[in-house]
Amino acid sequence: MDFLSMLIPFVEITLAGAIINASVHFVPVGGAPAAMATSTGIGTGTTQLAAGAGFTGLMAAATIAAQSGVDIFNPLHWAIILLSGAVGSMIMLGLTMLMGQLIYVFGVGVVPAADKCERDPITGDYQKPYITPGTTGHGVPTVCFISGLIGAALGGIGGALAYVALIQLGFSPEVAGIIAVGFFFMNAVLASYNIGGTIEGFHDPKFKKIPNGIIASFIASLLTGVIVVLMALGI
Amino acid sequence: MSHGGGGHAAELYPENQIIALGTLLAILGMYISQFFPQVSMLLGGLLASAATVAGANTTRKVAAYGLGTGVPSIGMLSLGMGIIAAVAGIFLVNALVKHFHVDPIVLYFIPIVGTIIAVILGYVVGRLTVNPIGMKIPIMVESMTKLSLMGALSILGFCSAYAGGFLPEIIIPGAIKNGVMALAFIAAGMAILHPFNACLGPDESHKRTLLLAVACGFLTWFIFAVARLEVISTVVSLVLWALAYREFIKQSLKDACAVYYTPELPKRET
Repeated sequence: MDFLSMLIPFVEITLAGAIINASVHFVPVGGAPAAMATSTGIGTGTTQLAAGAGFTGLMAAATIAAQSGVDIFNPLHWAIILLSGAVGSMIMLGLTMLMGQLIYVFGVGVVPAADKCERDPITGDYQKPYITPGTTGHGVPTVCFISGLIGAALGGIGGALAYVALIQLGFSPEVAGIIAVGFFFMNAVLASYNIGGTIEGFHDPKFKKIPNGIIASFIASLLTGVIVVLMALGI
Repeated sequence: MSHGGGGHAAELYPENQIIALGTLLAILGMYISQFFPQVSMLLGGLLASAATVAGANTTRKVAAYGLGTGVPSIGMLSLGMGIIAAVAGIFLVNALVKHFHVDPIVLYFIPIVGTIIAVILGYVVGRLTVNPIGMKIPIMVESMTKLSLMGALSILGFCSAYAGGFLPEIIIPGAIKNGVMALAFIAAGMAILHPFNACLGPDESHKRTLLLAVACGFLTWFIFAVARLEVISTVVSLVLWALAYREFIKQSLKDACAVYYTPELPKRET
């Protein structure tokens, strides 16, 4: 294997880690309070949400990559694999947010309202008057939904990029898939430690911590990239 | 949201002792799987569950500080690093033999190489969680190192027990290409993260958490024994699990407040 054919996957996997980490910061994670509708976001932890969306993206990318006639080194096919990963993730997270929203609105009976902004930056609706006293918002308001979709798209692209890099190194789809899963979890959890529990989306003040998470994931992915490229010699 | 509750309960055994024992037993189990494939699931699986018990013990120690993201996150992180280290151990040693033409005897050092990579990866990720990310847990770096190690050892242990050895030509078709490694990822992950996640709280006791960890380890072994359709291991693991779980229930009842009678709910509100 020549130098260039190892360098490109190495760069891809390093970027993939940083993208996965950034993606998690966009997803509106509410944690346990959101499960009781006393906090804005989806009612589960960062890791679970990122993993759910990321794996769907990974599977969508792997399905496209396995089609006959798809050449992983062709830039156009490469872009299609990445996009299919993004779309897979967006469908998964979009449905999760929609179903959660239906339960919040028609089951629990709360109004979707964001706590971290006076007016919704996208629709311009007032948020504060609709928040129940003693809670920090509830449901998935428009800004959180859009933010979640952006996060899911980035997560799908990141997962697909890691998978594509491993396939380009010559790993079989099974090995590439299992390493990509481990890689995805590592970066998603690093991001969730950076967030520290709950986040509403890109309008949340905690979102400003994103550079720390990206740097951490970048370094961790650099190390993983070195290990993975050396591993590729042993196929 | 802190998960620590009442902080640290008294330790029954020192953590390092459990880690050392878990590492030794898991590596021993891999060599037994390699050299005696007839008993790979019976002994290899049993010894691999030692690694999950040690991992659960470290999870207990670090998660008691309150991670802010729930106990499962650290278990998944440990398995994420562990799976990279485990696969890297197999492929890196294979690279030495295939690409650099080293004597094939080095293939027998796969568990050791996997251990070393897991320690390096865990240490680096641990440092990253402290420095740019800013986790304020004093034992974060050493705990991440230990968790990564235990994740890698439990995955390699269960995979080599399933495939009947850790040499690349045995484990790659026997446990990676057929997807058993994904089972090892999630089953071992559950065994590492579940015990403390279930037992945490102000009255958490080390004995109870450890008993549940042992029960979870046996349950993981049972899942692999069923997946491999091996009757003896299935029966033995199920019996051991039942014994461990019975002890756990007994201990839970002992630690709980006495409930003498449960009043019936009123038929209708008055």
